[in-house]
Parts: sequence; structure tokens; C-alpha cells
Amino acid sequence: MHPDFPLPDVDWPPTRELWAGAARGALRIPRCDRCGRGVWYPEPPCRWCGGATMTWHDVSGRGHLFSWSVVRHAWIPQVADRLPFVTGLVALVEDPAVHIVSYIVDCAPESLRCDQPVHAVFRPLRYPGVERTVMAPLFTPTR
Amino acid sequence: MPSATADWGFASALDDVAGAVAIVGIGDADYTRASGRTTTEIAAQATERALADAGLTAADVDGIMYVPFSGDQLTAGDFRAHFGTTHAMWESDRGGGMVWAGSAPYDAALAIRDGRATCVLNTFSVAWATQRAQMVGGPGQVHAEELFKRNLEIPFGWFPQPVYFATIARRHMHEFGTTPEQLGAIAVACRRHAQHTPSAVMRDRPLTLADYLASPLIADPFRKEDCCLISDGGAAYLMTSLERARDLRQPIIAVLGVGVGNSRTGAYWSQQEAFTSTPQVFAAPGAFAMAGVAPGDVDVLACYDPFTIVSLMQIEDMGFCPKGEGGPFVAGERLSFDTGSLPYNTHGGLLSHAYVLGIAHVVEIVRQLRGEAAAQVRGARIGVYGGYTGPQASTLILARQ
Ligand SMILES: [Zn+2]
Repeated sequence: MHPDFPLPDVDWPPTRELWAGAARGALRIPRCDRCGRGVWYPEPPCRWCGGATMTWHDVSGRGHLFSWSVVRHAWIPQVADRLPFVTGLVALVEDPAVHIVSYIVDCAPESLRCDQPVHAVFRPLRYPGVERTVMAPLFTPTR
Repeated sequence: MPSATADWGFASALDDVAGAVAIVGIGDADYTRASGRTTTEIAAQATERALADAGLTAADVDGIMYVPFSGDQLTAGDFRAHFGTTHAMWESDRGGGMVWAGSAPYDAALAIRDGRATCVLNTFSVAWATQRAQMVGGPGQVHAEELFKRNLEIPFGWFPQPVYFATIARRHMHEFGTTPEQLGAIAVACRRHAQHTPSAVMRDRPLTLADYLASPLIADPFRKEDCCLISDGGAAYLMTSLERARDLRQPIIAVLGVGVGNSRTGAYWSQQEAFTSTPQVFAAPGAFAMAGVAPGDVDVLACYDPFTIVSLMQIEDMGFCPKGEGGPFVAGERLSFDTGSLPYNTHGGLLSHAYVLGIAHVVEIVRQLRGEAAAQVRGARIGVYGGYTGPQASTLILARQ
């Protein structure tokens, strides 16, 4: 297991650009060079057209809350002090088939609705026992 | 919002194997909490019982199927070592539980048709309760080690499977109006069936809908009872040609149809384009066509049910009701073995019998069609197993001849 689990490995080539973007406050996703659609997870070939290459672009960070769960049980001990938390899927405005998995923050869980507008906010992910932090895109309801 | 297009998955092309093979012996290992047994020991116990059930000996078995997943499964070498034989065996890693508990009879039928084997054993076993007690293995580990999940999902708390499927359930509720009471009806039916089934891990733990609704949410909208058990156990079944089956001791339970469906997004549920559907959409039509029967002809159904929502989606996707109407369909007594119109997971399923990943579901269907189940559906003649892994689904249609 990764020593900093559950933090991501920001140097892992397929997702390095996501974390580099988040460190400067930008949400980045790769698009297929052939059909222009988002390729998420970032792994060629393109699942839409089979294109072999993709290029990362900044996107607005705006999206819709596709679905979520309010987690009240610590299946991994590292999240015990965050309970309860909201984790879910955000469909990006630019490409709704791209579902970003993230925490949904600064909200009352019972107020959430499917498809409501949300936007990215950039915060450090911290876990107990892990010194390192990683700047990450989280999402919050757009008022 | 995007709507799912028909190209989110596809059906595997299968030869017609209707009537080519029968299930002639079944065996359960003991279903338990942590037992300290190995998966190979568990599978061997189930195999001994399947041989006794069929009235066959180890030397009669010349084909063996398993899946290289979740612990050491019973290989040909293990089989020979356990039974003290040295004979040649056709060996396939396309067997086991989950989706393969439903598709193994297809590969066995081809092997028997082509003369590679005459009598084929399929086994699957797990020791996840023992492994969890030892903090190794278990159902979450394979996901925790997958690099995209480890880098894009787990850092955000989207892990493990109960969280994935709670998220799916939430979307199903949004799209179709599915309610907690409807999900609860599935859990309650399975628990009631387990109370009739001596081998069920939860046989002494009654559950009412009021109990269900009063229990705490663990991954909202899921409660504990929406989620499967963690158990040790396993099962086995033996297959041979219909012609040979006529000389054996048990009633002939023939394979009428098999279908396999595939999702292009694999095990990344987060990116599944048809978020509230399973690949049963692609598996079931081919199986019913091969069998020459319709969902309305089915007397008893068993589906791989790691979570209540997976039962609901498969019941819809296999055509037992229109898509989105699964909630009202399963409500009340519909799934009950004695008063329902679609008796479902009559042994208790993964939710209340034991989490042995579907192999016990096939054994239960055979038992129902023989008329020897604990919670027996009166006069059951056609039974169906729905297998599921996420990336794939299978439909297996069995009938008493
Ligand atoms: Zn493309």
C-alpha cells in the first residue's frame, strides 16, 4: 500500500496534470485530440472514438451534482475523523459524461439535490498520520 | 444531463447451447463467519458433497472450472491431490462465482460438445470473513489496489463498494422515484427466506420493514441491511450431457439459455454512462431467446445481490418489469417464495444467506427446480440466475425436464 494512503500519488503520470492544475487553482481534464470529448479516466484509447492521444485543458470547474452518498461509517480508518462526509460525482458543464469524484463541502447534506449546480474550490486534502497534503478540487453548491 | 446510449455495452456472441448440458450434482460447503479454513479446503468440501449428490466419484470428473480471483481456487492439481487421483482433466479459468457462475455452463457445454470433457465441475469459494479477521484480502482490496481508483476516488472518500452503490441508489431514486421502503422490501424478503434456510448465516435474525427503516444509515441512502454479508463458504455444481444425465440419480435440470452482457466502462462505476443500469440489459435478451421463454415464464429468480439496488436494477434490466418501475414492482410481497409472483433469492441471497458471490444462488435454483429447497416455490419448473460483476452480467436459464 502507498505509504501516504489515502492521498494520491501526484507524480503518477496518467493523473499528474490534475494535481499540477489543482496546485494553481485550476481544474484540468484531458480531451481526445481526434473527437474533442473528455477522456476520463485519462487513459487512451478514447472510449468514444478510439483516438490514441489526448491533451489536457483547463475547464471552468462548474458542473452539476450527478449523485452522492453521505458516508457515516469509516470503512478505512483514515476517514474516521471526517464522518459524516459527502462524497459523490460531479458532471462537468463542458462535458457532462466526465464525472469527477470528489468531496462535496460547505453544505447541509439534506439540502443537496441531484443535478444542482456546483463549482470547484481548491483545498488541501489532509489525512491523519500523513504529513504531506495535496491540493485538490472539491466541490460546493453554487448559490 | 446525458442519457445512456445503446453503445454503453454489448452482448457477447454465443453459440446456441440450449439443451446441451444439465446440472446433475450440487454441493454446498458450510456457510460461516470466520472459520479459519482456506478457500481450497472449502471448495473441496463443496465438491465432495456435489459428487455424493450426483452419485459420481472423483474419477468420473474430467473437467474443472474455477476463476483465478479471491484466494486459491480448486485447480485440477488441487482436485487430484484432494481425491488421490491422477487422471487427465480439461481445465478452465472461466468458471467460479459472480458472472461466471452463470456463464460456466456455456463453456462446459462447448467442452462437452467438442469432446474435451464429459463431466465438468464448477466451484467457487471465499474466506473473506477469515481474511477480514486477519486484515488481509476481502472485497475492498482489489479496488484499493486499482491505480485510477487509488488516485481519483479513494482520496475523496469514494470507497469501498457500499459507497459506490449508495451513489447509484441515490441516482435511481432521483430518476425513477425509488424509495427506501422499496429497497427495504428486497432486504426483508431475503431475510425472511434466510429464516427458512438452515444453512443461512442470518437464519436467526428476523428483519421487518420497520426494523429496516429504523436502522442507521451507513452510506446514505444505504443502511447495513442494504449491503451483503461477509462470510466464508463456497459451493460446487457438476455438469454433463443430457443424454448422460438420464442415467444419473437426480432429476434432470437442463440449461436452456445463457447470455453474457458487457459494459464498456468496466469496473469504474463512477464513469458508467448508464449509471442506473447493469449489463443485464445485454445479457438477458440473448438468454431468453436461446431458451425460447420469456421473463413471465420464470418461476424463481436468483440474482447476484451485493446491494439491494443491484437486485432492483437487474430485475428491471432482465425485463421482469419496465426500466424504472423496479421500486413499485418489488414492494410488498412480490418477491416472497410462498405468496409472491416472482420468488426471488429464496435462500436469502448475498444479503442474508452467505456472501459466496453467486455460486450458492445457482445451487439454490437447482434445488428449487428439483422441488427440494428449504423455502420451496410450489411447482417451480423454470429458474433463472442473474450473475453480475459490474463490467459484466450473465443470465442462466435452467428448467426441469
Ligand atoms: Zn475521441
